[in-house]
Amino acid sequence: MLKTLLLASVAALVSTAAIAQESLPQESSQWFTDAQAKIKEVMARQPNTKRAKNVILLIADGNGVTTNYATRLWMGQQEGGMGDDFVQPQEAFPYLALAKTYNINAQTPDSAPTAGSMNTGVKQLFNTINVSDKAVFEDCASVKGNELETFAEMVSKDGKSVGVLTTARLTHATPAAVYAKTAARDWEDAVPEGCTAQKDIAAQLVDQMKAGVIDLAMGGGRRHFIDKSITLSEEENTKGKRTDGKNLIDEAKAAGAEYAWNTETFKNLKLDGKTPVLGLFEDSHMKYEADRTDEDEPSLADMTKAAIEYLSKNDKGYYLEIEGGRVDHANHDGNAYRAVTDGAAFSAAVAMADEMTDDEDTLIIVTADHEHSIALNGYCGRGSPILGLCYEVNTATGEGNMKHADTPNLGADNKPYTVIGYLNGAGSVLKEQSDKSYSGSRPDLTDEEAQDKEYLQQALVPMSSETHSGVDVAIYAKGPWSHLFDGTVEQNYIFHVMNQAVHGDGMDAAENGGAMEATPASAN
Amino acid sequence: MQRRQFLAAAGAALLLPAGARAEDGPVRMRDLYNKDLSFSDYAKAMEGRRIAVQGFMAPPLKAESTFFVLTKRPMAVCPFCESEAEWPDDILAVYASRVIDTVPFNVKIVTSGTLELGTYEDPDLGFVSRVRLSNAVYERS
Repeated sequence: MLKTLLLASVAALVSTAAIAQESLPQESSQWFTDAQAKIKEVMARQPNTKRAKNVILLIADGNGVTTNYATRLWMGQQEGGMGDDFVQPQEAFPYLALAKTYNINAQTPDSAPTAGSMNTGVKQLFNTINVSDKAVFEDCASVKGNELETFAEMVSKDGKSVGVLTTARLTHATPAAVYAKTAARDWEDAVPEGCTAQKDIAAQLVDQMKAGVIDLAMGGGRRHFIDKSITLSEEENTKGKRTDGKNLIDEAKAAGAEYAWNTETFKNLKLDGKTPVLGLFEDSHMKYEADRTDEDEPSLADMTKAAIEYLSKNDKGYYLEIEGGRVDHANHDGNAYRAVTDGAAFSAAVAMADEMTDDEDTLIIVTADHEHSIALNGYCGRGSPILGLCYEVNTATGEGNMKHADTPNLGADNKPYTVIGYLNGAGSVLKEQSDKSYSGSRPDLTDEEAQDKEYLQQALVPMSSETHSGVDVAIYAKGPWSHLFDGTVEQNYIFHVMNQAVHGDGMDAAENGGAMEATPASAN
Repeated sequence: MQRRQFLAAAGAALLLPAGARAEDGPVRMRDLYNKDLSFSDYAKAMEGRRIAVQGFMAPPLKAESTFFVLTKRPMAVCPFCESEAEWPDDILAVYASRVIDTVPFNVKIVTSGTLELGTYEDPDLGFVSRVRLSNAVYERS
């Protein structure tokens, strides 16, 4: 009854609006006509309820709504615009939700359990990956019996291929969540003495490649795959970190994998869809986009192109997780320049994934695992450089100039400030004094200094590394069942949409003993 | 635009006679390296001469030492990025003329010293560097 009344009122409103629009003075404005076009586009949307053959999950680590906004403005301003109206590829996707990112025991999340929640369907404990809430951080024995089943394992049983890409180390939290189960995210190349319930993360990757679950893995982190006694003189003199005498790169090759470590060997990969691929392009993390050269190592978009070319050779489809791993690291450094330049590189990977796939059979999800303590100042005029000073709003717009005034806004201390700031981190204006106390004042600043690639935006709380924050992140989606992203959802819901898209209502994977059993709904 | 302006400025500066830049103020660490981490033309031109470089003092490895590492950005130690402290690959090793007084890691300093290029392993610390400033002095920027 109530619903009928509501619909009737909406109809009345629409009809009134239609009449009113005929004589509205603003109807010739582009703002008006663009919004009218958008209405038509949204009304024409039809949910795609076909089974998804492929699922691509793109995660920019630490790229919450604020960081994504900064990248949007930076990309738009690089093209000569004001930035605000620029549209990143994921921002053109039809469906959107906000994800709550907290971990079971942490208001402020870390990247291990957040990625784990997307890959298993349940929230997890701080600093752990793909173990249930019965396991205990850094307690190896507690892993036994508490391992969760991953989406990669589930779709592998369906005959799909699985790939994982990152610009961080392959053994780092977000990529590890595709294939590993660990009581501690830092056990990248070793576990504590006497630990038998799990292997280290690098060993788990090679095991999953041998088991046929992971078909393609590319990122950084070469050193975690070889023993400390080994130096790879051909490969940038990488010194190993392992303590078990193993060379997992050789093991993977002996098991039939193709191996790449730089641009040249990357370009030589067969990408035949059958031969497993292991790409390890740096000792540790791959380079920030601002520091990378094409001659040295591939971009995230390059790796995305190669991965989709490889995985799409499987007629049964694939699951591919792609991480832009270093937006997070730049934010930790308090260096917004590298956060937005890596954000733009992530956007290029999104565009590549979208371009190479068909919306009819491929679910693409673009999200972040968490946000940072990044924040924005006001009131900046349009076109204020996103990495630079916040300029005054230009109010003399009579001749159509909407760009900011020439004068920067000043704080009460009579000094300018940047658009972006951080609540904590190395950019703190409070410096350690000789008596170990902290005090200070905001340094004076020019726009040129602020836009420098090494500049750290001013921060408040002094810390050696800027922190994550618990605020929501966006989920952008297109393809089969992407319309299930709506409203504010728990982060682990992402898995459930992927599972619905691939397996349908029957939840085939759950019947295989999958992680679905651990969801709160079915546990009750 | 900003980047183009910077590159143009850097290119123009390189045309000046070696040494002229010191009068313009300290150089940045990126002026010593190309993007592929090879030494820049400026670095090669200034080898063996005194230059002033802007940067940050990483937390010293050893007390009562003349040695410290200059980084281009404050040496943030991020437990979520790294399981242990790691050096960036574009640092500058500094051998000061006196025992150093530590400067907090996020306070900008200008270090002046004689530029040395080439791989060198410190016999006491085992620290391997590719580029160094020797007989160096430093001050807060």
